[in-house]
Amino acid sequence: MGQAILEVKNIYKNFGGIKALQDVSLSLKEGEIHALIGENGAGKSTLIKILTGVIKMDEGEILLNGKRTIIENPISARINGIVAIYQELSLIESLSIAQNIFLGNEPIKKIIGWIDNKTLKKRASNYLKEFNIGFDFDCKISEIGLGQKRIIEILKAMSINAKILLLDEPTTGMSGAEIITLFKIMDKLKKKKVNMFFISHNIEEIFRICDKVTVLRNGKNVGTYKINNVDHQTLVKTMLGKEIEDEYPRRKLKPLPDVLIQTEDFFAKGMLEKINLNLHKGEILGITGAMGAGKSELGEALFASVKKISGKLKIKERQVNFKTPIDAYMNGIAYVPEDRKTQGLFLNYSVENNLLIANINKAIIGKLFISSQRKRKLSMNIAKKLRIIPLDMTIKAQNLSGGNQQKVVIGKWLIGSPDILIMDEPTRGIDVGAKIEVFNLINDLADNGVGIIILSSEFQEVKNICDRIIILRKGVIVREVNSDDISTEEILALALGVKNGR
Amino acid sequence: MVGKKNQIVSKFLKGELGLLLALIFIVILFTLLSDYFLIPKNLFNITRQVSTNLIVAIGMTFVILNGEIDLSVGGVAALSGIATASVLISTGSMSLAIITGILIGMLVGVINGILVIYGKVQSFIVTLAMMGIARGTALFWCDGRPISNLAEEFSFFGAGFIKNIPVSSIIAIFIFIIAYIFIHRTKHGLYIRSIGANLEASKLSAIPINRYRIITFITSGTLSGVAGVIITSRLLSAQPVAATGLELDVIAAVILGGASLSGGIGTMIGTLLGSTIIGVIDNGMNLVGISAFFQQIVKGIIILAAVLIKRRD
Repeated sequence: MGQAILEVKNIYKNFGGIKALQDVSLSLKEGEIHALIGENGAGKSTLIKILTGVIKMDEGEILLNGKRTIIENPISARINGIVAIYQELSLIESLSIAQNIFLGNEPIKKIIGWIDNKTLKKRASNYLKEFNIGFDFDCKISEIGLGQKRIIEILKAMSINAKILLLDEPTTGMSGAEIITLFKIMDKLKKKKVNMFFISHNIEEIFRICDKVTVLRNGKNVGTYKINNVDHQTLVKTMLGKEIEDEYPRRKLKPLPDVLIQTEDFFAKGMLEKINLNLHKGEILGITGAMGAGKSELGEALFASVKKISGKLKIKERQVNFKTPIDAYMNGIAYVPEDRKTQGLFLNYSVENNLLIANINKAIIGKLFISSQRKRKLSMNIAKKLRIIPLDMTIKAQNLSGGNQQKVVIGKWLIGSPDILIMDEPTRGIDVGAKIEVFNLINDLADNGVGIIILSSEFQEVKNICDRIIILRKGVIVREVNSDDISTEEILALALGVKNGR
Repeated sequence: MVGKKNQIVSKFLKGELGLLLALIFIVILFTLLSDYFLIPKNLFNITRQVSTNLIVAIGMTFVILNGEIDLSVGGVAALSGIATASVLISTGSMSLAIITGILIGMLVGVINGILVIYGKVQSFIVTLAMMGIARGTALFWCDGRPISNLAEEFSFFGAGFIKNIPVSSIIAIFIFIIAYIFIHRTKHGLYIRSIGANLEASKLSAIPINRYRIITFITSGTLSGVAGVIITSRLLSAQPVAATGLELDVIAAVILGGASLSGGIGTMIGTLLGSTIIGVIDNGMNLVGISAFFQQIVKGIIILAAVLIKRRD
């Protein structure tokens, strides 16, 4: 490893009374992929925002190539070669891949000042070839998947010669195959002497790709390790500041025989092929697969939020025909969608309104009027049970951390005591501590007889939390198995199609 | 600590309290500028003027809270007025005439709602087209000429008094109270706001979204019909060009009241204050003798200033 490209020295940042960063120092060496990990609120995002000039630090200094540099705003960060890739992407949906990569940096025909489309496409094609990416550069951004978009975003950063890339949870929502592509690109970039900070909640990924890891806790740097000198256990412990018994807590009871859901030949053109499955009382059923395998589609079909599904559905052995989510909910089904910010929450609304939105009838008095006291009491009860922090019912949902937001989305249904809970990617983007709490909650619910379907692309999670696993590939069930009878590696192989089912 | 106190104060000032203070300030200003402002006759004038706008603004608040817009209100009010007058003249029945006027507004609301929800066309476009259709129908119906000479007793709703209070204001206050309770105290109001705040999350929270979306358009159409009847009653004549530009005044009042055009945010009290402020300014500027052309500039500036003050977080 070479010399330090970027050094951060004794940075402090306060928001009101909250100490977001306290005396944080770290350095990024040439050609290094440096992981930043920590629970939500540990200060990772604040650090990234300071480095990209989005917010200003209170104290401390930033050295670029050993020279003290002041990063005034995002533009000066860019000029200094620092580019962040956020989870919220900055691509323009209606433009093509090629146009997006060179946005604001287009090759111009000298005399007239028009955009030179030929050169643009040629450059784009060279780029894609260089990184071995088989996308069609004429394709519109709106037509490609999330994982591909993130890769395009990185290429866009490279087109302006970024020297330091800050990747904020880049793998969130990516399929296994896409993650492999991303890592290959990161490897190539590393060889081209591009330096990277890599933020992730997934510790496995850090061991796969990073050279060094820095752990932040409560705004402090609590340890920087070379990746070869540290293990998974130590990292989790440092991150949480305490020992944890098990990242994947086990449930106490076994599933019951009663059948809650039975599907017969569920079919959606191009998405699902004749899906026959059942869910038992008190069972945790995991449905997994790569991206585009049809997991989300299956969940949406069961909750009747999409149409154009054929096949029969039985709930508690009774034939039903759901037209809208209301029918599904009337039959005891609750659904925690994949994207909590756009599908699950009303970000502008208070926690109590979010918690009661689906069950406001419980807070009605005189058949018509919402009782504020009753609303407060009901939401407070569930918030205490789920340990939502802070325990303030009037705070807006957007001001909660990811883990607490997820608890609100789950809590919204628990007030109505559903028989069946369908959860799409229940732990996406939440930290280890919150994850364990969500798992404990799932276990509790299942032990109390709720049937739970977890739609997840986290193979580890499915293997360790679920009683039974269904693996989908391109809308087909390739394997249905008890979780004790399969390894994570086998699940991965089946989901990616490296290995065939039975 | 001081910072926190300031924050609370500024939050209040940006909300309804700020609007109320602004209203008081404007009233004092016009009282100083004109001897005729703060006299009972003029105050009744203002309340009557505000009443029709407020009624339409209440419907508009439903639509805007829901994340949509209704540009057809002015055209609908005119059409409803023409329909009311025609029925009144041909049948002589006042109740039949009023019911027809209101039903026509309701019908347009239903059509707007169906086109937005099931036709999946943006409400801006649907109601822009409907604005033209309603206005055109009104003009076509009476061949562009006002329908006058209506029975004297019909003026009760627009120009009459009950115990010294204008009937139109009583109607407006009545509608306001019901709307306030509906929007702020019942689950229906919560649902209407939620749909505006996040349509997808509302759908996935098992809220019957289509039912509530259509309710908002029907409310707006119906209340435009009511306003049309009252305007016709006040003038004892139905003008096919009545309420021209009403949609802009009403949207301005709702936005001034603190609602967000992107939906989910806004209050009925805000709409009441917004409508009143615009009504008072209109009236006061007339009394002070500001030219009608210049008045439009002033109103525009006030709306921009109000929105900018709210933006400064």
